[in-house]
Amino acid sequence: MSGPRRLSIPRRVPVTARDEDGQPLSIDGREVDAVRESWLIEDRWWTERPLRRRYWEVVTTCGRNEIVFHDLVSGRWWRQR
Amino acid sequence: MESIVVCLQIPRFELTVAAGDRAELLGVPAVLAPEPGASQQVGEVSLAAEAFGIHAGMRLGEALSRCPRLMLVAPDPAGVADRWEGVLVALESIGAAVEAGRPGLACFEGRGLLRMYGGGPSRVLAAARGAVGIPARFGVAPSRFAAVAAASRARVRHPVLVAGGERRVREFLAPLSVSLLRLAAVEELRGLPGSLEQLGLLTLGELAALPIASVADRFGRAGELAHLLASGGDTPLRTRTPVEILREGLDLPEASSGAQLERALALLIDRVLARPERRGRTLRSVVLSALLVERGGTWRERLTFREALGDPVRMRLALTPRLARLPAPAASLRLSVDGFGPAAGEQRGLFDDPASERVARLREAIRQTRAAAGPDAALRILPVDPGSRFPERRAVLTPFEG
Repeated sequence: MSGPRRLSIPRRVPVTARDEDGQPLSIDGREVDAVRESWLIEDRWWTERPLRRRYWEVVTTCGRNEIVFHDLVSGRWWRQR
Repeated sequence: MESIVVCLQIPRFELTVAAGDRAELLGVPAVLAPEPGASQQVGEVSLAAEAFGIHAGMRLGEALSRCPRLMLVAPDPAGVADRWEGVLVALESIGAAVEAGRPGLACFEGRGLLRMYGGGPSRVLAAARGAVGIPARFGVAPSRFAAVAAASRARVRHPVLVAGGERRVREFLAPLSVSLLRLAAVEELRGLPGSLEQLGLLTLGELAALPIASVADRFGRAGELAHLLASGGDTPLRTRTPVEILREGLDLPEASSGAQLERALALLIDRVLARPERRGRTLRSVVLSALLVERGGTWRERLTFREALGDPVRMRLALTPRLARLPAPAASLRLSVDGFGPAAGEQRGLFDDPASERVARLREAIRQTRAAAGPDAALRILPVDPGSRFPERRAVLTPFEG
């Protein structure tokens, strides 16, 4: 084991989102049916590598519960689980 | 055959390591700040600070009043220990049996190496210089103290060699200041040069000329030892056994303290105990170190267990209280094994109870699984920061210890 392995590491995911509020419309090709919750997390703003994430907990049309976030620093989308 | 002691001296070693990439600090009046919780005395000083009359061991307040623009460099004990260990290992790699003094000062017996490298001491010095890779001063003499004194008068490219018997060594030491006794790594000699100077004894020659009985009568054991050193004698080198380095580190994404740090420590203990290099041995002593946030330097603490341990729970109990001494939140934590004990040194009860038998079976099963499938075979989930808003920071996988 080369280093401690963290659980729930975010993985890149293709997401299409609405322009005006950034709400995800489809995740990995699956259409979003409902948004359950959305929240913003900011941390390490005092360092040179701040973290700013807009999280979305959604249900896709195939019934899957997904948590994705938009990295507001890099502009990329990630799946948290 | 008389012995040949080689002394390596790296001036301002601790200050240079603590300054790190800020090399400009060595060109201005700068000192190593006192360690948190330690007495308020400055550590090593830069050349520019020496020009203000500041010296290592001076009270911080006095140093600042002598030079108000004095820069204080945060100490880096963990970095110093690492770099110094690297220097000692480099010397050992050329075949030297090394006696490690304080960081920046080491001695080794050169007689055997002369045979190995052939020629004169210059070949041994060239080998040592090449292995160490850091500009260092070298002194060569028949005794440790004379070699240290020679190294303190040497330049990086010009070692000082004192050859000949005890008489020649006495002649070399005679004009040197008694303050050199501070360099002899003996705690009881620290305060002696000041007392000798007050009595008007300024050189080692003047000290050696006194009858040993008078010196011993006035200064006791310290005086006797100082007289021996000034007369060209010394005690034998106490060389160390080359050590095996086993360490585990963990970067802490958020500056950590309190419960998070305790969980990180538990993780490190599990990881150290799971290392195959341990080969079932217990741990006699460990070094816990941390990199502090905001360039706060490092923190380092060595702990020798009351008895050699292989039990993670007892190690946690012994080590966790030490975390409270951290002067600032940590950006990374590291645990290194300093000394091993015997394999499975813990005494068991006369009659094994079923629970301990089950544990023993489980341990054996884990050992066999690891042997077959590698160290990742048996893991458990350890909550590191369960309350974190970032899910990936909440838990890590750590080696399972039955």
